Amino acid sequence: MTVRLRESGTRSGLLIAALVLLVVIAVLSFGVGAHGIAPGEVLRALFGGDTANPDHLVVRDVRLPRAYLAIAAGAALGVAGVLVQALSRNPLAEPGVLGVTSGAGFAITVGVSLGLSGPFGELVLSVAGALLAAALVYSVGRQSPLRLVLTGTALTFVLTGVGLGLRLLDPEVFDVYRFWSIGSLAGREQAPMALPLAAIGVGLLGALPVSRQLNAVALGETVAHTLGANVARVRFATLALITLLAGAATAIAGPILFVGLMVPHLARRLGGGSVPWLVGFGAVLGPILLLLSDMGSRVLLPTGEVPVAIVTAFVGGPVLIWAVRKYGAAPL
Amino acid sequence: MSIARTSRLAGALALAVALVTGCASGGAETGAASGETRVFAADNGQITIPVSPKRVVATGYAVPALLEANAPLVGISSWQRGLPMMTPEDRAKYDGLAKVAGESAAETNYEAIAQAEPDLIVIGVPKPVLADIDIKRLEALAPVVAIGPSVPSMWRELSRKQADAAGSLASFDATRDEYEAKAKQLAGKYAGVLPQLKLGHVGGYGEVAKGNFQREFNGSWGTNIAQDVGANYYGQVKVKGGGSKDVSEYPSIEELASAFTEADAISYTVAADGSVPPPVQYVLDSELWKNLPAVKAGKTFPIRYTEAATYRAAMKTLDAVDQAFAPLLNP
Repeated sequence: MTVRLRESGTRSGLLIAALVLLVVIAVLSFGVGAHGIAPGEVLRALFGGDTANPDHLVVRDVRLPRAYLAIAAGAALGVAGVLVQALSRNPLAEPGVLGVTSGAGFAITVGVSLGLSGPFGELVLSVAGALLAAALVYSVGRQSPLRLVLTGTALTFVLTGVGLGLRLLDPEVFDVYRFWSIGSLAGREQAPMALPLAAIGVGLLGALPVSRQLNAVALGETVAHTLGANVARVRFATLALITLLAGAATAIAGPILFVGLMVPHLARRLGGGSVPWLVGFGAVLGPILLLLSDMGSRVLLPTGEVPVAIVTAFVGGPVLIWAVRKYGAAPL
Repeated sequence: MSIARTSRLAGALALAVALVTGCASGGAETGAASGETRVFAADNGQITIPVSPKRVVATGYAVPALLEANAPLVGISSWQRGLPMMTPEDRAKYDGLAKVAGESAAETNYEAIAQAEPDLIVIGVPKPVLADIDIKRLEALAPVVAIGPSVPSMWRELSRKQADAAGSLASFDATRDEYEAKAKQLAGKYAGVLPQLKLGHVGGYGEVAKGNFQREFNGSWGTNIAQDVGANYYGQVKVKGGGSKDVSEYPSIEELASAFTEADAISYTVAADGSVPPPVQYVLDSELWKNLPAVKAGKTFPIRYTEAATYRAAMKTLDAVDQAFAPLLNP
């Protein structure tokens, strides 16, 4: 009992420290970019601000909304990654294996082929595509986690192949898709984001109660039944949450695959094997990773920005290898 | 052999000789049929082409140039961006011609070009894009001259060169003279106001998904025709990237204020129907834009037809520039 309390206290301390780090990085990110802004000016912009001062406008109208998006998308992908790895009991799973991302991309390809475009159109299409793909995967693979992952992977390949064919037939569709397909937070500060941000909020709140049930399911179906968990219901709720979180994050920033794969591994080093703790750490580590990557995306090239998904891939690859080599694959 | 029979044979021979001679002398008047050729300097080297080609295939920027120059076209690439600037006559010709390529060079249909049986192929795409075209395959069909722009303002010389290759200079030069007279007249009209202004231009090729905008300097798409009226777009690109990147750049939206703080006035590209394209709307919706001195002073000017790359199309741009800058004459 004492040991558990001590562990819980340590995890709480780590989570609070991670939260503080998140706030510090967020404030730092307001000063970093193509147009460098001194820390004092950043603070003045945040607490008051002069609407005639270009530096203050950059902080308040470009970097602040962008930080909100990075935090929301990072939290959504981090938590979705934790849930999908716990659900599938697969350390290499990420939200994309359930067909969510490929469904969003396919819907955008079809929608643009039919003449639907623009930021709002892409947003609606990506959410609809993610939902439809997840529903299809669940209806076919709901019997077991393995079948779920196999169905998701198969659907991903099918949608990717058909989508590629459609894009190759129409260069204009290809042009729209190529911008969407490289996840980025740039240029999103003016887009209508209330709906996906609300969806992420709902998804994060919903993840907490489900994660307790998922803790039991992660021990195996027999044990879960013994502990009184309704496996089918938990599996459905988890898949719905993954779809909601990953779909909304994809709608905001396009596909940023690596965050959902890497954050659960990092969270596991801090939160152990408890799914509720993993969800908590995933919700904080995801934004930290995305904020840092977004800062890098603004300054890496002198002639323009690098899409954040490319930065997460470059940063995430070595970090993942380091984590696995140093600690080994922690049990799920 | 009887005398009558001999004389009939001699008559037939004489007729045959006369026909052959007549055909040959008629062909001598036109270079293509006679096989008369000349060596023409193009982006792809010194190319031997017919003096007077009869069946020309044109792609890219060569399409509007050769339509206007009344070249003997038998196939063209799609050129949607130029449609709003075409006269009804050129548009009718455009619609009636076989399309042998799509909007991009990668969409070249080699079978369709072969079916058109050209005696000259004029490729009007920028030099870096030439890599998307199998020139060797085209050269098997007809002489290929590649004459593409690198800097946007080069359309003047290049469109003339394209018309020259297609043997259609006379018609081309008449239109050019008309343009130059009109530009001179407008330059006189705005001489008292326009040259004194430090102008900035927001182009239509920014990428919202990358959070940037296009700033155009002198010699770029959105600026080069306004320059003929006396406009001066101050500054230069931070890093010269070659071609169009020598005269335009793509800064982050965060740099909007630093890019245009000094500008007395700012023009921006709009579509032919006056609508604002998404990359420009992204800039206009930014709070940074609303706080620029030129914007607060009401000195912003939307300009249509900035994609013009022929003299006839550029006359529409001159009208659009005149319409946009008219408020400067009545402050």
